Amino acid sequence: MAQRSSLLARTISTLIILILILVAIAVVTKLLGSRPFERTVVEMFIRVMLVVGIYIFVGNSGVISFGHMGFMCIGAYAAAWFTIPAVMKQVSLPGLPNFLINTQLPIFLSAFLAGLLAALFALIVGRILMRLSGIAASIATFAMLAVINVVYSNWDSVTGGTGSIVGIPFYTGIWTALGGAILVVIIAYLYQISRSGLALRAGRDEATAAAASGVNIVRERLIAFVISAFVIGVAGALYGHFLGVVNPDAFYLGVTFITLSMLVVGGMNSLSGAVMGVIVISGIIQLLRWLEKGVDLGGTTLAIPNGLQEITIGLVMIVILMFRPSGLTRNREITWRFKGATKPSE
Amino acid sequence: MSRLKALGLAATFGALISGPALADDIVVGFATAESGFMQAYDKPAQDAALIRIDEINKAGGLLGRQIKVVTADTKTDRAEGAKAGLEVLDKGAELVIVSCDYDFGAPAALAAEAAGKVSFFLCAESIKAGIPGVGPHSFSSSVLAAVQGATMAEWAYNKKNARKFYRLLDTWTVYNKGICDGFDWQLPRLKDAELVGSDTFKNEDASIASQISRIKALPQEPDAIMLCTMMPGAVSAIKQIRAAGIKAPILNGSGVDGSYWLSAVPDLSNFFVPAQGSIYGDDPNPKVNEFNKKYKEVTGGDPSSQYVYPGYVLIDVWSKAVERAKSLDADAVVAELEKMKDEPTLFGPRTFTSEIHHQNKGRYLIIETTNGKPAVVDEWTISEAIPVADLLKQ
Amino acid sequence: MTALLQILFDALSLGSLYALGALGIALIFGVMRLVNFAHGDYIAFCVFALLWPSIDAAAIVFAGNLPTIILIPLILAIGAGLSVLSEILVFRRFRNANPATMMIASFALGYVLKNFLLMLFSSRPKSIDLWSNLSQQVEIAGARIPLLQVITITITIVILIALTAFLKRTRFGLEMRAAAENFTMARMLGVKANRVIMLAFAISGMLAAAIGLILATQSGTVDIQMGMSVMLVAFIATVIGGLGSLPGAVIAGFLIGGASVLMQVILPLEARPFRDAFVYGAVIACLIWRPQGLLAPKSAKQRV
Repeated sequence: MAQRSSLLARTISTLIILILILVAIAVVTKLLGSRPFERTVVEMFIRVMLVVGIYIFVGNSGVISFGHMGFMCIGAYAAAWFTIPAVMKQVSLPGLPNFLINTQLPIFLSAFLAGLLAALFALIVGRILMRLSGIAASIATFAMLAVINVVYSNWDSVTGGTGSIVGIPFYTGIWTALGGAILVVIIAYLYQISRSGLALRAGRDEATAAAASGVNIVRERLIAFVISAFVIGVAGALYGHFLGVVNPDAFYLGVTFITLSMLVVGGMNSLSGAVMGVIVISGIIQLLRWLEKGVDLGGTTLAIPNGLQEITIGLVMIVILMFRPSGLTRNREITWRFKGATKPSE
Repeated sequence: MSRLKALGLAATFGALISGPALADDIVVGFATAESGFMQAYDKPAQDAALIRIDEINKAGGLLGRQIKVVTADTKTDRAEGAKAGLEVLDKGAELVIVSCDYDFGAPAALAAEAAGKVSFFLCAESIKAGIPGVGPHSFSSSVLAAVQGATMAEWAYNKKNARKFYRLLDTWTVYNKGICDGFDWQLPRLKDAELVGSDTFKNEDASIASQISRIKALPQEPDAIMLCTMMPGAVSAIKQIRAAGIKAPILNGSGVDGSYWLSAVPDLSNFFVPAQGSIYGDDPNPKVNEFNKKYKEVTGGDPSSQYVYPGYVLIDVWSKAVERAKSLDADAVVAELEKMKDEPTLFGPRTFTSEIHHQNKGRYLIIETTNGKPAVVDEWTISEAIPVADLLKQ
Repeated sequence: MTALLQILFDALSLGSLYALGALGIALIFGVMRLVNFAHGDYIAFCVFALLWPSIDAAAIVFAGNLPTIILIPLILAIGAGLSVLSEILVFRRFRNANPATMMIASFALGYVLKNFLLMLFSSRPKSIDLWSNLSQQVEIAGARIPLLQVITITITIVILIALTAFLKRTRFGLEMRAAAENFTMARMLGVKANRVIMLAFAISGMLAAAIGLILATQSGTVDIQMGMSVMLVAFIATVIGGLGSLPGAVIAGFLIGGASVLMQVILPLEARPFRDAFVYGAVIACLIWRPQGLLAPKSAKQRV
């Protein structure tokens, strides 16, 4: 117990710094930003939730997962089922069971239930998948994502098929998204200093030694898998309330790769890496988009051609990884002592 | 010479977009894709819309005021789409024109709806692009996908004497499903017509060999194959069907209109597409052919498919509604739009009601491709509008 | 019987594509533990090389008009060149990085390639008429098979035999197999790492080009996305086959192709849209059954 509290004392600064950074971004945006810019920041906070959610599993276990956006899909659709007005559901989603058609829950309760549904699904699937490790586990999670995508794209009466479903109330603004991001960062932090989190990290770094010390890697992995599924399910729900439409296509390969890239570019074995990866990549993308629209330089507008933004961001990612193969944070946590950052969760 | 002219007209567009906005100008905002996947589909219709705006401005403007265009790029991304919608609204847009596809256009349209402004989809053909999927101020100027399927079924039944139909659905998009839904709605209304078989595939399938084997296993070749798909998978499917020696007429949605892909299937014949207007220079309405010429002068190329036309139609019907309402007030404009019944446009009549802001019945040209040459062969309007209740169920 | 033969041919021709793709991915994985997500974009790049850059709807066929005898080597060379170039410019610097970093780097490279093509050609799929006389049918034991299917299957078998001979009979091949089995050990025994890796990339690029040519001929389409689905299945096949095992990758490629065709045939109409869910379900089952893959090379076994 004493050890735990000293661990807490040594690492809490990371949590505080990360939260302060997020709050600072939100406050500055609120003071200075335009409406479209505010939406960019909201989207970024949701991405923080997603990437930190992936980190809870991937960072702690060392197993790359391609499947986590499946939980986002489950969460977003669950939020749609819980919050769309009954009249609209009868028409657009007639296959839903009656009790679902007739319920319309408050947004926070619905988001919580959406997370639970994703977690439940993860618990069931994870019992099978978590037995695998390495690349086989990665492929299995990808197969899981593909199955979720195919089912949600074709089960027309319950999900509306490949089309978007609408009628989800707009809710997620900058403060909700900030709250979500902070909450997720806290969850991730608490998990990684928990007994299970430490055991899983031990298993990641030294599988044999950890197993010999009585760590049940499969069980710890399952715990991380379920927690991360819950977090991403909630993020999916908030995303639905942010965009007002959900569509299976939005939760497939595109978002899988962008979130994984953010995680790896930031540094996949540290919480700071997950958060900073999102902030840095989102920042660069936004900068390039401004350039694409054109910048006024003493009367002449300088603009880069449309489409160059995507090419540049790809190149920037390659270059960052070339020089920092373990990510911008070098897999370490940010602490008060900026010079000599400590290793994660030591 | 035409290149020079094109440059000149392009300059006019440039002025339309970047010229200084006067307080008196009416602002029309395009929240469409200028990059990414949807760009190739948004740009042609947007150019057509700009042509109509230019015509209106040259003729003295709308309510005596000039129309000024502002744009924002959705980057073919849903979240960016919502931002683009806000951006043009912040620039004072009275009308927000959004991406061609319902899924990509909806976020921007929802932003316009929340701001109480009228929004138009460039060419969306889903029932959701309008009241059910956005709200009471949202419209689409194209014709529903279901009407295309229903039109082809009824036309083939009457003019090609087709009785035994086969249905092949690509499950990729709502548009594809929409065509087949319209076909399914129409078929039971045709006496003695029967469905001899049905199958699905995926647009990205590298090979549809097993689907073709199933058609070939039928005791006799069907009278017509209803093919509900779109680019790029359509070309592959058509090519493979013909390569397998199946010669039955193929009925399609408008998504495969255009001659740009025909080189992939040399000497394609017995192939039918519904279109709102002909891009092949043989439209029964000479004004359409004039428009095609104008489009070429402005953009430097012929229209690539009929999906250019809805852009022109939308500015046309919106500006008429504004003139009739004598106001830009969204509710007043919507009320005038909803009074339109068989309103003539260059590309077929348009009807809007308080129940549906889309066309559930429409005049289509039937384009037949023979030996790789498409040409208008007929014109068809389904005998009965598809009821809104049926459309929503699908 | 005829129907059965038809199914067999359908399965073989789809499986051939997947097998060629899996082989391309397995080769690279074997020598440098890299899962190359840019492979699908190599395929698209090679197909676009047939055209002249233009964002018009109608394709301007350029290289595609060359006589076959020049066209095929040219496209294969482009595939090999692109692949080797990406090794020199990008992947070489990631030799010691962990697999996740390499994977993301390859994805970023693919993203750059894709958007580069998008800028040059726009997203609208283009059409091309490549060897359309291959679309005619031949009759084999009562089943009517498109000539292209026969050729695809034949080409795949020829490539497999040639590659096997190359790997088994030549010094390069021996070095490559040694490197795939145990790279560090091979280097210590005098295998030149750069040469082997470049060779693997070159062959992998040529395989991508071959897939591109087959896809373009079969579909008549040139599309940004066209390598994507083959690449994903090939990637899965590589893992199911046993990472690093070339025969395993090929067998798994054919198995997935076969499963896909079989599902399309036996599933009832209502379930057919869910076909891929069944295929991927089978993938998960297969992984649980044999986590190391069907034919796992000895080096892939975990020592725990």
